[in-house]
This record gives sequence, C-alpha cells and structure tokens, in this order.
Amino acid sequence: MADITQLMRFDDLASKDSPIHNLEGRIKLISTIFIILVCVISKEIFIPVILEIMLLVILKIARLSYWDSAKRLLMLLPFGGAVIIFQPFIQPGTIIWSYSWLHVTDVGLNWAILLLVRMIVCLTAIIIYSSTTPLQEMASSFRKLKMPRDLAMILSIMVRFLFLFVDELAAIRKSQKARNFDIHSEKTPYKWRVKQVGYTIGMMFLKAYEQGERVHKSMVSRGFSDASEMFDEKKSPEKSDYIYLLIIIIVVIVLEIVLFKYSGQLGYFSQNLAIN
Amino acid sequence: MHIPDGFIPIVQCLIYYVILIVALYFSVKWAKSNLDEKHIPLLAVLAAGIFAIMSMNMPIPFGTSGHMVGGALVAIVFLAPEAAVLVFTVVLLIQALIFGDGGITALGANVLNMAIIGGFVGLYTFKGLNGTIGKYPAAGVAAWLATVIAALACAIEMGIAGTFPMNIGIPSMVLYHFFIGIIEAVLTVIVLVALDKFRPDLLAWNEGDA
Repeated sequence: MADITQLMRFDDLASKDSPIHNLEGRIKLISTIFIILVCVISKEIFIPVILEIMLLVILKIARLSYWDSAKRLLMLLPFGGAVIIFQPFIQPGTIIWSYSWLHVTDVGLNWAILLLVRMIVCLTAIIIYSSTTPLQEMASSFRKLKMPRDLAMILSIMVRFLFLFVDELAAIRKSQKARNFDIHSEKTPYKWRVKQVGYTIGMMFLKAYEQGERVHKSMVSRGFSDASEMFDEKKSPEKSDYIYLLIIIIVVIVLEIVLFKYSGQLGYFSQNLAIN
Repeated sequence: MHIPDGFIPIVQCLIYYVILIVALYFSVKWAKSNLDEKHIPLLAVLAAGIFAIMSMNMPIPFGTSGHMVGGALVAIVFLAPEAAVLVFTVVLLIQALIFGDGGITALGANVLNMAIIGGFVGLYTFKGLNGTIGKYPAAGVAAWLATVIAALACAIEMGIAGTFPMNIGIPSMVLYHFFIGIIEAVLTVIVLVALDKFRPDLLAWNEGDA
C-alpha cells in the first residue's frame, strides 16, 4: 500500500489556498463520488476521457503539480494494473495478434483500455480530492452528510490520531535504522527480521490500544457519554460551491447527450468496450 | 487485494454495500452491548494504529513483498468479528479517499473480503482449533486461512464481475496469498504472544480466567 509517511505531505498540500481548496467539504466529496460513479457506469471511453481533461483543468485551478500527481497515480497502479495487463491475453474474442501460445484478442484489448481509462479518471478524482481536503474536513463532511453517529465518531477520532501513529512509526523506524536494522538485509536471518517486524507491529497495536484507553478516560473526565454529539461548525455551502457541482453535473449530462446523438461520428470513443 | 473502482459493475457494488450496511448495523449493536461507552475512542484509535500497521511492507521470499491486514488479529483479540468490521470500514474508507488504495464503489466488496470474511473465518477457525492444537497454533492457522479465503473471495467477486475469469483468477490469487498468509500468520501470532505477555487483560480469551 501507499507510503503513509506521505500523509503529512498530503495534509500540508490540502491546507493550501486555491478556489478548489476553498470549496465546501461536502461539495468536494459529492462531486468526487459523482465523477467516480459516472466513470464506473460508462461502457464507452468518451465520457471518462473528457472528464479526465476536465479534471486536469481542475488540477491546474487547484494549483497542484502535474508531475507530483502523476507520480502518485503511478504508485497506485500495481494491483489494478496487474489485473488489466492480463486482459488482452485471457478474454475470448477475435485474435488480432499472436505469438506462439500468446494471443491478443480485440475484446480483451478493448476491455483493458476501458478499465485503465476508468481507473485513471477515478484515481485523478481521488488525488484532487485528497490534495485539496484536509482529513478533518473529510471526517466532518461525512458527519454532515448524516453518516451514522457511532461510525462518524470512530472516523473523526481515527483521523485525529492517524498522524500520531505515523509519527510513532517513523520514530520506531528511525531508531531501528540507527541500530543498523534493515528489513531487506540478507545479512540477518529472515526469521529474525520477521520477528522484529512482529514486535514492531505488536508495539504499535499495544500503543494504539493504550492510547485508545487514555483518550477514552480523558474524554469521560470531560463529560463524554454515550449521548455525546460531535460539534460541527455551521457552515452551509455558498453559491460558488453549488455552481461548481452544477457545472460538473451539466458537463456529464451534455456528454451523455452528445454520446447518444453523435455516437456514429465519435468512432472508437463511442464504442461499447465493456464485457459485463 | 484492494479492488479499485471500475472493476466491479455498479449493481454488484450495491449488493456488497447492502452486505456492508447490514454488517455495520450488527457491529454497532455488538459494540454498544459489549464495550459500553468505551467502544468509540478505543476502536477509533485502534483503527489509526491498524492503518499504520498496514503500511509496513515485509519482504517475503520469492521476491515480492506483502503487508499485514490484521482482520483475523482484531477479531481474535476481541473474540468478535464485529470489531474487525468497524475498524476496517473506517480504515478502508480512508485508504480509498486519501491514497486511492481500493475504490469507493468497491468499498463494500473490500470490507466484505478483508473484514467480514477475514474476521469470521479467522475467529471461527481459531475457536474450532483452539481446543485441539493450542491457542497460538490455532491463531496462526486462523490468520493464514483468513488471508487465503479473503483472496479467494476477491477472485470470485472479480470472476462474477466478469473482470477476471475464475479459472485463472482463483489459482493465482490463492497461490499468491498462500505465501502472504504465512507472514500474516507469523505476525498475528507474535502480536498475540506480545499482548498476552504485556497486557493479558486486553485479550478477550483471558476474560474467563480473571
């Protein structure tokens, strides 16, 4: 999984200032999920490709670096990428290229392209969302969107302590490094290295549990009970927030109409590439 | 085994979401009756810790690397799969939103594999074997089986989705996690041994002795 020491950097990035950063949290969350939903439903690459172009414009407005965002995207591709890369070879269809036992089929290749396009657009949307929204704002957006109380509270407190554990883990790693511990080093027995990682995880687990108990005690001593509610700053979305969401929805509707009316002229872009 | 967005058709995603909501309903109910008012801060901070634990990559033989999931571990510590469901729902949600690791639409499926299936298989394997082979071997087998069955579930879901045929997906996912599972098992046992040594009161299996 992605490197969590990056978390601090993401939150730094998310605390900057730009028209996108300043949008209301709920609006950003809803628009991100909306774009992802549209992509997941799309069976043609036309809409996802145009959405990606729109997202690249949003990325610019948010003053985010294309290079850093691309690097983040590449780091996220492995699992999905592994599934995609096999598609041209395993899906039945007309063979368009073959080399001894290896065949590439048109259906498989198209399906792989669709999956890749969907994945890139969804990840771009997520990268924009997470680089413009601090974690606390995410948690509060979920609360305001009526996530069940217990779950919302677990989420909010978790988000608050995430950074502590990132720090803890970094400290443990640093002290291990200072003692010349290297998880990849072949010079030490494998069994011993696994044991060290086990102890580290055990330590983290214990620290997390005990911290949880301490937090609970300090919350109770400040009057926390089963009936406590979390405080949310009353901040309703402004006109500009609604306009942002509306623009995205209108773009999608227009794209759907274009796709429906001019599917003949769009060629490959309007071809149904899905196999399910 | 985090399934990304776009790999599972939306209708199937909705079915997994319904399963997730039902599981969450029972988990919140469990937490309220078993952990009293302590449950929220405890599970929340534990989730933050698990998040950090999941990011520790361990090299495994044959050149790849894997990380611990901990579904079976959480279920065994609390002797309840519900704890795993609560912890992993928030962990996977944040992973999806921040890192894009696992999709938003696929969240239901991912929680189903890693927490619901992982937690249940882990806990009941542990309970079944506890009496015959001792608690640590039982926990090891449970964590291993939980990983393999979760991977199997992931492969089956991808098969049903039509994204990856089961005849290739199942053997490759199961074989890969056959090895990842060994690491998961060893680490689960080490953590349980450490917990039993330093804070035996945290482990639900010790509650009867007190």
